[in-house]
Amino acid sequence: MDEPSGGRSPRRWPGWLTGWAFVLPAIALFAVMGVYTIGSGLALSFAKWNGFTPTWNWVGIQNYLDLLYADPVLAPELRRAGWNTLQVMILAPLLTVAISLPLAVALNSIRRLRAVLRSVYFLPYVTTGVAIYFAWRYVLEPDGAINTLLRSLGLGTLAQPQGFLGNPDTALPTLILILVWSSVPVATLLYLSGLQAVDPNLFEAAQIDGAAPRHVLRRIIWPLLRPITAAIVLLGVRDTLHGFQIFLVMTRGGPGGHTDVLALMAYRLSFFKGLAQTLGLASALGWLLFAAAVLLTLANARMLRRVR
Amino acid sequence: MSSVRKRALGAAVALVVGVVVAGCGGGAGEQQQSGEQTLKMWTFKKSHADALNKVAAQFKSETGITVSVEAVTPDDVFVSKVQSAAQTNGLPDVLEVHAGGEDLEMGASGLLQDLQGDVGDAWKQRLLPTTRESGVMTQQRIDDAASDSPFKSAKAGQRFSVGFTAGAFGIVYANKDKLQAAGLDPNTPPKTWEEFLDALKATTGKDAQQGGLSLGLKVSQTGYNWIYQPLAHSYLGKDRFQALFAKGAAQGFASPDGVKTLDVYSKLTPYWMPGSTTLGIDEADIAFAQGKSAFDVGGTFTLAFLAQNGMSPDKVLTFPIPPSSEGVNKEISMSPLALTGLGVTATTQNRAAAVKWIDWLTSPKGAGAVAKESLDLPATDLGADAEALLGADLAALQKYFTGSPESAYDAADVAFFPSDYDQVKPGDLMVRLTPLQEVSPQQAGTELDKIMGSMWKATE
Repeated sequence: MDEPSGGRSPRRWPGWLTGWAFVLPAIALFAVMGVYTIGSGLALSFAKWNGFTPTWNWVGIQNYLDLLYADPVLAPELRRAGWNTLQVMILAPLLTVAISLPLAVALNSIRRLRAVLRSVYFLPYVTTGVAIYFAWRYVLEPDGAINTLLRSLGLGTLAQPQGFLGNPDTALPTLILILVWSSVPVATLLYLSGLQAVDPNLFEAAQIDGAAPRHVLRRIIWPLLRPITAAIVLLGVRDTLHGFQIFLVMTRGGPGGHTDVLALMAYRLSFFKGLAQTLGLASALGWLLFAAAVLLTLANARMLRRVR
Repeated sequence: MSSVRKRALGAAVALVVGVVVAGCGGGAGEQQQSGEQTLKMWTFKKSHADALNKVAAQFKSETGITVSVEAVTPDDVFVSKVQSAAQTNGLPDVLEVHAGGEDLEMGASGLLQDLQGDVGDAWKQRLLPTTRESGVMTQQRIDDAASDSPFKSAKAGQRFSVGFTAGAFGIVYANKDKLQAAGLDPNTPPKTWEEFLDALKATTGKDAQQGGLSLGLKVSQTGYNWIYQPLAHSYLGKDRFQALFAKGAAQGFASPDGVKTLDVYSKLTPYWMPGSTTLGIDEADIAFAQGKSAFDVGGTFTLAFLAQNGMSPDKVLTFPIPPSSEGVNKEISMSPLALTGLGVTATTQNRAAAVKWIDWLTSPKGAGAVAKESLDLPATDLGADAEALLGADLAALQKYFTGSPESAYDAADVAFFPSDYDQVKPGDLMVRLTPLQEVSPQQAGTELDKIMGSMWKATE
């Protein structure tokens, strides 16, 4: 019922207050953790600051210009990191889809041991990322398990004397494969849940019509699972844009900068520059990444609409 | 209001109050609840924290002041923690920071107090001569800084830290057993760079996989900082070496001087331990301690780490990066520089106690006690007690600190660098020169000049 123009009646204000009291913590948290930090981060991208001084030095859009073209060292660094990021962004999701979809179809087609195999395939996702990356480093060392295995199989020419992470030609592809290895479990589960939601009569009808398994995969399963594929690709792209742990732990962008990516560059500008005034540059790079993520999300939304 | 509603309102208010109280808790005031003076200190070195916490008991028995030391590692986490603590008034009373830059940055940014009035001549005389002025802001540092640098708000003569540990980079450690196995004298260090390369050739010839040189090139600036710079310094002499870095350098890295030094350095290419580019600093030292390489490059501080990892010091031959026989300086010595310094934070409520703690730590008694526990060389001159306090092996490293001033490489002399000097960029390029061989010495020289030019531009 509407209140008189004088406002809420004394009898009802406790209810109003109770509501606000419950909502206030969430609003306060969002204001501090969300609005303030986003606003502060955006403002910082227009300043130079080392994290210590009480004041920021405002430089306008110079941080953005330096990153994009004005600084003769930073701009090429950004381009190289951007190119590496692009390769990871394209190859990691594609390979994830290429491996997880057939794997899910195979898992869906068997009855025995399905639960066991599903658990086995999910194992890489269960273990903490950083621990996994350290384990992979040992496996990929010059005298690590992979080189040892290759040599014992008579495939010594494929072994990497400097280790798979020490050779500039193999370092980035190796990291991409590890990213794929760690993202396949979730993608497989998503596909598997999608497959189990598909009407079995569709497969039966196709088989009666004489469709080969590859035709079923291409003509029925693939179109029906396109929304899941789009989600997997989007997740992969998102991980690539903001993920840097694997690059930090395994190569730190090396050897010689060959595995540097944009997120790692932002981290480095923030925390690996000693006390140089590069926090503004790091923030500007973060906003550039945000802009790229928004564009990709819009493209993805458009793609999803088309799929539907 | 119904009782249910009252209870709900009460719960909501309690929640809000609880969140606010939790958010505002801690901070000032908790240090002196019992009237007893208590200091908090942060360091970025775990071995220092352990040693400092041990000697703090001795300090307490003498002064009644309790000190609690916390290690925040690694370095980048330490910096970010100090950054966030500075914003929330959560800094401890004392910080151990990197000397030669970080201390000045923090001081000029208002995080560390000026100790100029506290550190008198008598105090300074306790320190090694080359570390006495560490932590002091100079007019040249202010003049060279970029116009928007925090240095511009500092005053020459302000002291933001007192040297705590000292040492030198560019110390080579050789495995005596591997030298002997390769037919080399395990007790005679190579006198020249060329002899060093010959020794590497012999050890890798004996064992290609485990006879090379280990260095943590994953931290790319190590090769540039610890090998190339002392080598180029001895090759060119001080003035021509510093000219490589000069603004608009006519005699920069792409000059014949620069290219020659890069060429001499790149002779290491065949001798790196397999996978050097994938190893961090500690990992490279551990690889050496495990017998995976015949040589390892580090600093004076590396000996303690090798010992902690099972490498007996008597199995190791040490020598500084040897000078090239073609170079200007035929012998090399390292000026000991302050590696870390102690500073008092601007927000401390216990300034007098904090200064007393630093005073005690940099006295021969305190410094000796810490050195004994941490196996790290102090910036305090221990004089005749050095060997007794440090042990023969660690004290022996100090012999590389003596030499003629002309040929001594002083890593603390950074006056000729751009103020925004960043070692990582040239470090990455040096990794591409060797071991990756992606650029020639001439190309590396041209690229290095571009990098230096960019840093000078930032200074303008």
